[in-house]
Amino acid sequence: MSSKNEIDMEISKNNEAINIAKKGTHCGMCRIDFLGTGLCPAGKKNGYIAYWPQGRMEIFNSLNSGRVKPTKKLLEIVDSCTFCGICDKQCNFTTQLRPQRVHEALKEYAHNLKQNEFQNVPTDEKLKKLQEIVGEKWATNDPIIIASYRRNIVNPDKELNFYVVMPENSKELSEVIKFANTNNLQFMARGGGTLFAMVSSTVMKNAMGLEDGIVIDLLRMKKLEIKPDDLTAVVGAGITAFELQKEAYKHGLRANVAEAGAHICANLASTGICTTWGNTYGWASDNYIDVELVDEEGNIFNHGEMEIKNPYSVEHGLTSLKLSPPGILTEATVKLHPIFEGEEAVLIPFDNLKDALKLSLTLARQDIGLSLAILSRKYLAEFISPTPQIAKDFDYIAKNYMKLNYVVDVICHKNDKKIVEDMVDFTIDKEMMKTLILGSPKLASLKNSEFLKMLSEEENPCKAIFAGPMRKHLERGLEATPENISKIYDEDLQAFFKKIYSKPEMTDIVWLHAFRIFPSRLMRQRMFIPRGGVMWATEKIITDFHNMLKDTGEKHNLENALGYISFLEHGKFAVLEYDYYFDHTDPSVSKNVNNAVIESLERTLSMDGIISDLHFYFKGLHRKEHILYPVPKAINEEEKILFKELIGSVLGGE
Amino acid sequence: MVKFLSEAWIEIGKNYMLEKLDPVNDLKNISTSLLGVVEHIPPNDSTMNFYLELKEGKLIEFIVNSGDTYKGKEAIYEIRGNYGTYKSILQGEMSLGIAVLKNRLKLKGSKMQALRLIKPLDGIIVSLREITDEF
Repeated sequence: MSSKNEIDMEISKNNEAINIAKKGTHCGMCRIDFLGTGLCPAGKKNGYIAYWPQGRMEIFNSLNSGRVKPTKKLLEIVDSCTFCGICDKQCNFTTQLRPQRVHEALKEYAHNLKQNEFQNVPTDEKLKKLQEIVGEKWATNDPIIIASYRRNIVNPDKELNFYVVMPENSKELSEVIKFANTNNLQFMARGGGTLFAMVSSTVMKNAMGLEDGIVIDLLRMKKLEIKPDDLTAVVGAGITAFELQKEAYKHGLRANVAEAGAHICANLASTGICTTWGNTYGWASDNYIDVELVDEEGNIFNHGEMEIKNPYSVEHGLTSLKLSPPGILTEATVKLHPIFEGEEAVLIPFDNLKDALKLSLTLARQDIGLSLAILSRKYLAEFISPTPQIAKDFDYIAKNYMKLNYVVDVICHKNDKKIVEDMVDFTIDKEMMKTLILGSPKLASLKNSEFLKMLSEEENPCKAIFAGPMRKHLERGLEATPENISKIYDEDLQAFFKKIYSKPEMTDIVWLHAFRIFPSRLMRQRMFIPRGGVMWATEKIITDFHNMLKDTGEKHNLENALGYISFLEHGKFAVLEYDYYFDHTDPSVSKNVNNAVIESLERTLSMDGIISDLHFYFKGLHRKEHILYPVPKAINEEEKILFKELIGSVLGGE
Repeated sequence: MVKFLSEAWIEIGKNYMLEKLDPVNDLKNISTSLLGVVEHIPPNDSTMNFYLELKEGKLIEFIVNSGDTYKGKEAIYEIRGNYGTYKSILQGEMSLGIAVLKNRLKLKGSKMQALRLIKPLDGIIVSLREITDEF
């Protein structure tokens, strides 16, 4: 019999696992080898999300809430984990979570179950047929595996009435779709699943998830071929942004990619790979040469075919909302770009948006900089800080002592760097950024120090600290070393993180922009939902739009901040992302998020010159110019009423 | 309660709509016609269609045919989708709006004009939901 202490410890261990699993945000970073640790061996071998750390956490959630009963598959899943610790390192870096504790609890739970506690999974003719198409291993109706797809394609409220299939190629996918159609099964393909994870606790889950039928997981389509001679790469649907970038870099080339864990093909088909490099590298169909798709009837076709009707034109206006791409994108030939010698990041701090906009619009219109964006203070804080608390303290210090509210963030080659430096009074250079990254824990600890109080009394605190007499004091005071930053991690991980932060790329802003590692931290321990759009780039339109989104967030009591503003078309258009942060483990927040999403969309449509983000979702394969022109006008009163009816029908309304 | 797309479904549906839906309040006095094409109907993977016509909010015609056209009538709108999608809509698992936006139902005709039909059509769908229990 267990003693009280042992029982208490068990409960406490279990509670810890429950909390970790709930906080998991499905950022997908455990499926890319961004720290050089290698990948989860079980996930790599078995494919299904259930075998990856994020999937195990979701299974644990489902079992804990009683929304799935154990099957024998659970034993296989828990035993496939060797507790190698890779996931703890990866997840800890981005989210500070320790998923291995969930896996340990899950394994213990599974092995303590009695035989009669496992539910049988009934045999099924449809499953057999699907297995004939993709191979026995790669199609399942096992509820435990399906549970792992909750919140990243499967609506969390729905019963687990699904099949999951993992086709290896377009031909198999085509057969799966044809089978689905003749058997009246809905189907939907997933890439990284992050977009759905973001909306899964909001009203949009009904619009964007799969209700029942077949989940098509494309992770097995791993083709990746770099063609240095014509600066292109061929990528299969299972290839992530990080994987493509890593291969491209080996050839001295760069791909225009979004979040590290985003699947290139899915990202192309959904939002069209919208990045801070867009003013130079483009957006939507600018990013690719050709794509292979499988349409809703199971036909395989390429954009390059002469016989197909124009795939690039697109509808405009209120009714152009789409919740699905024109097909499942299975392969893309994407453009790569040369990396210039001596590329550098230059950051220019501002205390107000107006001045930041003025500079960035000038740079964008003159095509200065390869990547160009305005980042908010909060975004910058999250970007460089290793923990949420340090990010919060950095944010506080930047606001209250440095008057640093925005930075214009330019990645450029050396000639452009000179031009930027000539245009501004001072910049934050790469050495200072390295100091800020490695010294962020120490800086956070100076929150109420005399040093910072003195700094705040300077006429221009940013100039004083980044380019003036206080710089050397800051550099000395921050003790910015890999060893010092590693001390903020759990003791058993400190040696590992010391090595990680000793790698030059982990403090190289150009590399971090290209690989998009740090921004994954925006999803740590809580969710955010991005709002925004593409707009005609005038100071007034951008500022009004920004203020409207801020006002809507405030009204619905959501923590909110600008994400970034970047540019397209030589600065003629701007892309603005504004983020509403919320705790996805707190169901009471959903209503606020839903109302903010609907209201911000409604108010966006009432403004001249803006295409709402929801209106360019799933148009990523279209030609940028077809999406952007004609520059949209605000909808009229009658259209507003119709829009409300549409939103009521689609989202249910609140 | 009757089987989807059966003769009885049409008859009871007609009566139900005439009795329960107010031409002004529920059907907004609309005048329109709609051809709904239903593909992949089990067990033989067949195709059928239903034609629905309203004039000033009053039901003029509601008829079921085999194949994907209704000879002699040209509908202002055509929606086309598989049997499973119609089933989900009639069972209240999916809204008409979502089905169109997700491309589960393909719409021919002006989308802007179709938007004006969403509310009245929702009323008709609710009516049909009340009488349909077999698929």
